[in-house]
Amino acid sequence: MAEKVCLQPCLGLRKEAVLGRQALYVVHEDLRPDTTVLGCGPALNANVQEDIDFIAMYPVLAVESCELDCATKLIAKKGRQVAATIRVTDLVKALNLDLTSLPEEHLDANEPAVQAVAKLIVEQVDSMLQAA
Amino acid sequence: MAEEHDFKVGVLPCNGIGRLVSTVTRLAGYRIKRMRPEQVVLLSSGRLAVKDPEHTMLLNKYPVLVIDGCRPHCASFMCDELGRTPDARIYVADVAAENKLSIVGEKRRGLTDKGHKLVEAVANKAVEEIDRLIADEMMSAL
Repeated sequence: MAEKVCLQPCLGLRKEAVLGRQALYVVHEDLRPDTTVLGCGPALNANVQEDIDFIAMYPVLAVESCELDCATKLIAKKGRQVAATIRVTDLVKALNLDLTSLPEEHLDANEPAVQAVAKLIVEQVDSMLQAA
Repeated sequence: MAEEHDFKVGVLPCNGIGRLVSTVTRLAGYRIKRMRPEQVVLLSSGRLAVKDPEHTMLLNKYPVLVIDGCRPHCASFMCDELGRTPDARIYVADVAAENKLSIVGEKRRGLTDKGHKLVEAVANKAVEEIDRLIADEMMSAL
């Protein structure tokens, strides 16, 4: 059984990316601090050792905000495969969230949409920990 | 017929997630875009890291300003990797020192006024660089 899951967000600029990013802070800092690590895409790309270690040691959950799948591709670029990919767009649909009502640049971590997305990501994390 | 020019600057904040300064660069990027909406093309580090063709084209089309949050200088690394020497660079720690601003106690998930002061300082410095780069492009086109 894996000890932890590496959360790897896309870190794009669109609203879905902001929602995913904030949800991952909630997952990592509040909900599963002991069983997740937070991978930083630019740092991984720049071969920062901590981020290289994260994807080598733990199964990676890519959290994508669009169909470009940049986080998944970045892991592949570094010679690894993600264990699972989750798309914020799918979570938004599943939760019936209205993205147009959310601000563009920043979302508070207490925002209900952020909390709801975080809870769905936690389900995926727990499932990966049990399966690994 | 007068030659048409497209005077813009590509702005590449590192947009990381791991450190507090990542939040500063990310919010500074949006602020810069709001301050110079017609002159700024905001570049996504996520897309450039995987050599997305559209963003790679933009990186090469316009002068580029990178904003590095922390010591690995990941946005600069990305440009180097893509063979593009940035036309200007901003390092958040330099701006903090120049303006005697501290973000100790701030949280990466969201900044208070204290953190936003640094965002504003980074954005102001970036806009100075953008105006200089555009003036340089304009003068070179005359």
